Amino acid sequence: MTADIETGAHAVAPETADVLAVTEEVWRSFLGESEPLLPGPPSDRADAVTGAVTVTGGWDGAVTVTFTPEGAAAAACAMLGLDPTDVPSPGDVADAVGELVNMVGGNVKSLMPGPSTLSLPVVAGGRVTPASEDREVVRLDLTWTGHPVTISVHTKGSR
Amino acid sequence: MKILVADDSRVMRQIVIRTLRQAGYSHHDVVEAENGRDALEKVYAESPDLVLSDWNMPEMNGIDVLTTLRGSGSQVPFGFVTSEGSEEMRSRAAAAGALFLIAKPFTAETFSDALDPVLA
Repeated sequence: MTADIETGAHAVAPETADVLAVTEEVWRSFLGESEPLLPGPPSDRADAVTGAVTVTGGWDGAVTVTFTPEGAAAAACAMLGLDPTDVPSPGDVADAVGELVNMVGGNVKSLMPGPSTLSLPVVAGGRVTPASEDREVVRLDLTWTGHPVTISVHTKGSR
Repeated sequence: MKILVADDSRVMRQIVIRTLRQAGYSHHDVVEAENGRDALEKVYAESPDLVLSDWNMPEMNGIDVLTTLRGSGSQVPFGFVTSEGSEEMRSRAAAAGALFLIAKPFTAETFSDALDPVLA
């Protein structure tokens, strides 16, 4: 929690270390322990696949998980117990990315003041462009099995 | 014994079913429901011995399913498997009559701890 110097209000944001711990636990549990999440360079591919959830109530924010198409397919294979060379259906890829952001977002919600409501996940092609009043308070640039993964948390300014 | 697994994510239903096997429940029949309304209908149609339900689902959420079941007199053992494991959610689940709340992500050990007292 950080104090806003101008208004004295508290801009409530999760700690980066907590979001990383939550994300690592999700990956370890459902994508296997043999291929850990590692720090990675930022990725800005135009054909990215992004899953998003929003939290509204005691804390207002959004959590996004962004993959490359290849990374999203690999995640779906891992979650479904398929061979990494299998080609999952587009529906299963979207389902997998949505469930991953649902878990990361649900756990971020649990870290923040409540009561709040977690939205159902949405998954789409491309990167999320947040509204102008939103600001990114946590960004994790990671890599998993060689595929870039970005976790981002946005909030609506200070409360 | 029959277990109803309710989650709008097919991927998550597969993970839950796989985890049930890893936790030693491979000899149980599993019925899947893809949203809350489907879960409600399948509880009445299939008479499961345990319901494992997501919380946040389209059509009808998990807490509404549980409340409707209890309101209709059903006492089917019911537990949540959800990404939201805060104390507030656990209190709401318990107040509505849930036996447990397993927070995602989970392990086979978490399943054993929660399910053994119900299914043993």
